Amino acid sequence: MAKEGDGERALLAAEPELSEPGPGAGTGAQSEAESVSGAGASPLSALCDPAHLAHRIVALAFMCLLGFGSYFCYDNPAALQIQIQEDMQIHTVTFMLLYSWYSWPNVILCFFGGFLIDRVFGIRWGSIIFSLMVCIGQVIFAMGALVNAFWLMQLGRFVFGIGGESLAVAQNTYAVSWFKGKELNLVFGLQLSMARIGSTVNLNVMGWLYSRVEGLLGYSGHTTLGITLMIGGVTCIFSLICALILGYLDWRAERILHKEQGKTGEVIKLTDMKDFSLSLWLIFVICACYYVAVFPFIGLGKVFFMGKFKVSTEEASAINSIVYVLSAPLSPIFGLMVDKAGRNIFWVLCAVVATMASHVMLAFTFWNPWIAMCLLGISYSLLACALWPMVAFVVPEHQLGTAYGFMQSIQNLGLAIMSIVAGEVLDLWGYFFLEVFFIACVSVSLLAVVLLYLVDYTRGGSLNCSARQRVELSKMTDTNVSLESPIPSLPVHCGQWWLLLFQSISWGRRTASCSRSRILAWP
Amino acid sequence: MLGERPRARGVPARCHCLLLLQCLLLLRAPAGLLGDQTRRVSLEVIPEPKDPSQNLLHIRAVGVNSTIHYIWSSLGPPAVLFVATDTPHSVLSINWSSLLSPEPEGSLAVLPAKSVRFSSALIFPRLFEFDSTNSSEVKDGSPGKPYPPYLLANFSWDDVNSTLDPTMLSATFQGRPSKDPLGAFSNGSLAFKVHAFSGSGRAAHLPRLLHTADTSQLEMVLSGAVPQGNHSLFGLEVAIPVLDSECPQLKEQDSIDDEYCPSVFQLAQLLWHSSPEGFLQWRPVAFSQKQPDWKTAVPCQVSRPGPTLATLLPQSRIVIAFFGSSVNFCTFNLTFGDSTGPAYEDQRYLSWSALLGIGIPPVDSFSPLVLGIMVAVLGAPALLLVGGGLSLLILRHRRYSEYEPIS
Repeated sequence: MAKEGDGERALLAAEPELSEPGPGAGTGAQSEAESVSGAGASPLSALCDPAHLAHRIVALAFMCLLGFGSYFCYDNPAALQIQIQEDMQIHTVTFMLLYSWYSWPNVILCFFGGFLIDRVFGIRWGSIIFSLMVCIGQVIFAMGALVNAFWLMQLGRFVFGIGGESLAVAQNTYAVSWFKGKELNLVFGLQLSMARIGSTVNLNVMGWLYSRVEGLLGYSGHTTLGITLMIGGVTCIFSLICALILGYLDWRAERILHKEQGKTGEVIKLTDMKDFSLSLWLIFVICACYYVAVFPFIGLGKVFFMGKFKVSTEEASAINSIVYVLSAPLSPIFGLMVDKAGRNIFWVLCAVVATMASHVMLAFTFWNPWIAMCLLGISYSLLACALWPMVAFVVPEHQLGTAYGFMQSIQNLGLAIMSIVAGEVLDLWGYFFLEVFFIACVSVSLLAVVLLYLVDYTRGGSLNCSARQRVELSKMTDTNVSLESPIPSLPVHCGQWWLLLFQSISWGRRTASCSRSRILAWP
Repeated sequence: MLGERPRARGVPARCHCLLLLQCLLLLRAPAGLLGDQTRRVSLEVIPEPKDPSQNLLHIRAVGVNSTIHYIWSSLGPPAVLFVATDTPHSVLSINWSSLLSPEPEGSLAVLPAKSVRFSSALIFPRLFEFDSTNSSEVKDGSPGKPYPPYLLANFSWDDVNSTLDPTMLSATFQGRPSKDPLGAFSNGSLAFKVHAFSGSGRAAHLPRLLHTADTSQLEMVLSGAVPQGNHSLFGLEVAIPVLDSECPQLKEQDSIDDEYCPSVFQLAQLLWHSSPEGFLQWRPVAFSQKQPDWKTAVPCQVSRPGPTLATLLPQSRIVIAFFGSSVNFCTFNLTFGDSTGPAYEDQRYLSWSALLGIGIPPVDSFSPLVLGIMVAVLGAPALLLVGGGLSLLILRHRRYSEYEPIS
């Protein structure tokens, strides 16, 4: 679930101006509203004034909570894997269908989520409708458990999937609408953190909740599971309420400030696909192969930790959730770091290698699983921050929407298929083979990273230039590459450490080459 | 010859180099007493001449210059005697009248006696049942409050002849208590399925232990019996005759490879001290469904083998007949399941398998598929890195040589 957040964040950060309100409307109304509230406004009136920061923070709280329900419920199956498989009498393959059914609608919806919000529902109704879908999906999911019908549970996940991803788009659109040009990066960071918290709370609470329900009923079984999932669904109702409140606040702000409804600004044209460069396709490959080695693993990890490392159920849940816990604080930090330092390919390479190392540790050693999972958490956060913004460097701005939509779609397709494959592999050959399989996936991703570097280098691209070089480039070519900081916080040469193995080059020449070839590439 | 054999210890997590070395040594070892790739295996039911319902199951596995005899009996508690000889011509001799008399010592022997290189036995005296609902007791590590155990010596066993399958090399001892006032076994039974192998391989169903011609498999199946409590756990007592006071050693190993038994990363082995060593090898899981599946697996705990007074154990005639009455015993208990998770009463089914053998316990190794993937996975990026680095070098050289005239 976290991944679409990353995508949206990158998309919106890359084109913040697309969601600007009508010309002049914002500033004019804002000063008007400020003059109304006056200098001596009480804290209460500040809270009610849409032009005031305090009010925006209130709205931000609701924005963060808007996604909480869907993030919480997305990983319900992972938190209750053992219980679901026992109570519903299903194999891992069948179990993984629950994740697969979530991903399928999003293979297509990624292209249309933005369109639905912009053209059909509007942001307010869009978020309410998608929240409602999430609620209905979760209720169907829980009903399926109550009446012991697994097909109904799958249907529930499908409906849930339709709402879930689009709700994330709506959430980000709200953020742009309310915070454009102000505290936008921080807001995205906070929303991502909230997503991780939702997932973490779920992983640690659902097992406990199940045992409490079991204690109350006096027996376990599909009824217990259904009731537990229903209680979990309360978070979705909670998010729906947030969507309603947020809709009201947005409507009120629009009336007072005369601003426009937020828009995603996504313009998706499938015909753009034929213009995608090799670099972009390689980025897609990295994305798809990387994420299939992370999310399906987290979905299946709990039993692995209990079986191989002999940890308790609670500790296994905690280990499983450390990836999300870590990425909550690390996402903004790494985002800032990559922004300042540039050299995206180097960071992606680091992240992929670290992920591979963590899977190798899990597969081939008995080392404390906390080490490997912390490493996975760190590398996962780093990859999200370095990979998604790269798209903006290899695609013209008017194709960004299509490129990101496509990237998410491929990722969802990968997850949908690999969830099934991973379950099948596990049932037939066990966790060791599954880990080897994941290592193979990450390895394909690693191959693509290396290829991407070579392709980018030979074509004189700027993907691995430092931030300073990019700024120089943008000055020289008078092209906005949307980077603000001219200060690289890392030594210039850190991006080529591995090339040192094969050649000794002078950093001055490298820099010159990077700028020169880039200039040559621009007409 | 035997003393020089390397001692295999399963698949230790950190000793794969050692493992490889062991494999190499094994390949180099001359065809000795054991370690035959294939054996001629025959199963034979030997009936008491006057009363054919009293009988023994004799499994004879003949190699190039060795023979392994497994003698199964349900006279008294179920028991298996296993004997290795260094000749392909050793035979089993039974004096039935003496065997069924009160003093059966010496009535069963493997001849020629000089050729016997290893002998031991396993006896299964009791089936335990525990009430695991009392959580305070369960936390102490005890399986729960014990119900009165079932004495397997008091079971009546079906005729093994009817279950003998000479092509599959298998036979089954199936029994139920002779007196069953509670009717617990009215629709149920306890069975010991015996399976011998003429070569190495792996069973199609879990736990898929690797077997060789030097091993035979024993599967205990409890099915249909009515448990006495809501969440009953079952346990099995195993007794081993020892000539000295030293009990076989229990080794529980961790393995990183669960390819053949998903989600089970442990292997338990009971190793005799003699050389060649006997062993009992099992995965610490039992299965609570007829179609074994790793999700219905229940954990199997084992206690350390400890010496026990012979008087506390029901006597097995074949063991006394072979080892004499002055033999000491070691016992250990296996407990199947825990207070949470799948339980026996869900399907009223429980099965547990183990390999019994002589020589070096079989060791799992990575499958060729895994090795192939690993080579590809680690090789491809490395190749690309080297190739890419070189081509970059050439490219860079060309590019700068193009610039040179300008500057």
